[in-house]
Amino acid sequence: MSENLRQMLDLGLFWEYRSILLAGLAFNFYVFAASASAAIVLGFLAALARVNPLRPLRWLGAVHVETFRNAPDYVMLVWVHFVMPLLIGQAIGMRVTFAPFVSAVIALGLVYSGYLAETFRTGMQAVPRGQIEAARACGMGGVLVMRRIILPQAVRMMLPEAMNNFVSLFKATTIVSLITVPDLMYRVQMVTQQEMRPLPLYTGAALTYFVLIWAVAALARAGSERWRRKIWA
Amino acid sequence: MGNWERLVWNQRNVLLDGFLVTLEICAIAFAVAVAAGLGLALLRLYVRPLRWPAIMWIEYCRATPIYVQLMWVNYVWPEILGWPTTFYTAGWVALALQSSGYLAETFRTGIENIGRGQREAAYAVGMSPLLTFRRIILPQVLVTIAPSIVTQFTVIVKSSTLVSVITVQDLMFQSQRLVNVWFEPIEILTATAAIYILFIFAVSAAGKALADRLRLRYGLGT
Amino acid sequence: MADPAGAPCVEVVDLHKRFGALEVLRGVSFAVDRGSVVSIIGASGSGKSTLLRCINYLEQPTSGEVRIDGEPIGIERRADGSERRRSMREIGRFRRDLGMVFQQFNLWPHLTVLGNVVEAPIRVRGLPRRQAMELARACLERVQLSEKSSEYPARLSGGQQQRVAIARALAMQPKVMLFDEATSSLDPELTGEVLEVMRGLAVDGTTMIVVTHEMGFAREVSDRVIFLHGGLIEEEGPPAQVFGTPRSERCRQFLAKLLH
Ligand SMILES: Nc1ncnc2c1ncn2[C@@H]1O[C@H](COP(=O)(O)OP(=O)(O)OP(=O)(O)O)[C@@H](O)[C@H]1O
Ligand SMILES: [Mg+2]
Repeated sequence: MSENLRQMLDLGLFWEYRSILLAGLAFNFYVFAASASAAIVLGFLAALARVNPLRPLRWLGAVHVETFRNAPDYVMLVWVHFVMPLLIGQAIGMRVTFAPFVSAVIALGLVYSGYLAETFRTGMQAVPRGQIEAARACGMGGVLVMRRIILPQAVRMMLPEAMNNFVSLFKATTIVSLITVPDLMYRVQMVTQQEMRPLPLYTGAALTYFVLIWAVAALARAGSERWRRKIWA
Repeated sequence: MGNWERLVWNQRNVLLDGFLVTLEICAIAFAVAVAAGLGLALLRLYVRPLRWPAIMWIEYCRATPIYVQLMWVNYVWPEILGWPTTFYTAGWVALALQSSGYLAETFRTGIENIGRGQREAAYAVGMSPLLTFRRIILPQVLVTIAPSIVTQFTVIVKSSTLVSVITVQDLMFQSQRLVNVWFEPIEILTATAAIYILFIFAVSAAGKALADRLRLRYGLGT
Repeated sequence: MADPAGAPCVEVVDLHKRFGALEVLRGVSFAVDRGSVVSIIGASGSGKSTLLRCINYLEQPTSGEVRIDGEPIGIERRADGSERRRSMREIGRFRRDLGMVFQQFNLWPHLTVLGNVVEAPIRVRGLPRRQAMELARACLERVQLSEKSSEYPARLSGGQQQRVAIARALAMQPKVMLFDEATSSLDPELTGEVLEVMRGLAVDGTTMIVVTHEMGFAREVSDRVIFLHGGLIEEEGPPAQVFGTPRSERCRQFLAKLLH
């Protein structure tokens, strides 16, 4: 057992393969960046639909949010990768396939648009009605009220929660290896099959993700708190 | 509709078996996570020498992706600890591990938010610290954090889909096996997704109802 | 088509407002001439706020009309006599002429004092930045808050916040100022500074509609007082008459209760 323990702590093997593995980590960032952008846009639209006075739009927004927020990441990933191309293919009468990267971005973008929409909505609705009426009384139109009064405050208020959402999204990018996007976890698996030494490789991967996510989360938390404090002392 | 009948309805027993495995593994992971979370929170708050180890463990559990943790527990633990010996055990251990970190923080904030005065009032009538915790603090904490605990259960269900990767025969596993048999993923995977979404939606809705009920009954904010 | 010289500044014609089954305004009509101050008094729930909010269409009246310089806000009458409901955008154009001050100040907390005041002149009236700044500074001067212009609202007292809100409304250079219980959520020792500012506006000839519980202020400053009861105007006249020799029994009771 102590031999095994030594092996686990001997991260030399992980270090040996560092360039391949780091290139894998880059894929986590690509997937993260692309799906985060998609999730922000979609989530904002869904949140707008949910605070809209038009009932059918509100309803549509609610369905979007409840579907994707309650869908497990992995299930969505598999569904988007294997079912969505078939459905599109049937609709346009052509054979369609998604590259794994594309499926990963669509699936994670959809799921996290659900979480973000709720975060956005909570932020928007936290702006007191009176302030919106004051803006309307000054003659501001809907777009101006949203852009100048609601959003600047909503963004500050929802920032900590949005940061949590983004951290979760980054964690979720580790499952894209399951549809063969060559990220860090995928490469760890490949190297493991070659070297037959899972201990240092999986431990190295776990520690890498831990240090990275923990540091980024702590920074994000501190940063967003400070920005909030500036206004609401 | 023919496809739905052939691929989903006629396979309902297989899917149901899978769903039951999902429920079972989630229930075990959840129970362990609640107990471990409470334990970790207490260590962090009241056991000076173990405070920092507890904090590090909590942070490690919270900041590591569930899939990475699952692989780590599955491949690394058996080599070092000689345990877990089955994929099933590795599955619930990883799920419990991750949730215990979150629940520990939930318990801690819950405990810290209960005013000093409560504790002093209990000491003043002669209650011991242990009795105070058990009879005064813990019940209030449970009421305030009940909704967060329910949310954590939905997180476990979502994460549990990954145990299919290490061949635990849960709903996700069974549905992918059906896909591999029939090569017709549309209906099977869509039905599977719908089952998960509806189940998690129902649990969340129940959690919200519980939160409202508790808020009304005890006048507590959440 | 309307003749601004002849028409009153604000004209409320047979205004009705119902919320579901509750009819809050049941046919209110009055007119406010340019440069005059009208106070609206009445018991809680009598519909004072609703009336004010209908005047600038924060609430859509159920029926009736509000005219600014003879032109109806909510509908457009064409030359051929046909009518058309105005869009939100068009209503927004009328709102520029109606400055509103709320009981709860409703300052925008993410903007500085100066930011609150210049926001609408720049974005809504489209004034050049420099000119808007000058105007805003002048308005802050009028409410005696020049030295606070770079503070955020959260750091001001209630009285100061309300004065900023007044400056914000003034900066639109409105034809009329609407005040909805501007001092009701202030500590008693802070109401004086706000009433002082309002008195100054009245002296300068600002047209004002003031909902208030401050009877002393209403008596001293207004040209006319309206007593609202159950969604109708129960008593209306010069302050000396309404406060001194009210014709309506209800008005008498209301005033008597206030004095005790
Ligand atoms: N948006 C609304 N929906 C339903 N009812 C409303 C709404 N706004 C006001 N009301 C009702 O209309 C009535 C008149 O309200 P309003 O606020 O105009 O009274 P007020 O005279 O301003 O009273 P106060 O002196 O307390 O401010 C009240 O009974 C109130 O409950
Ligand atoms: Mg009112």
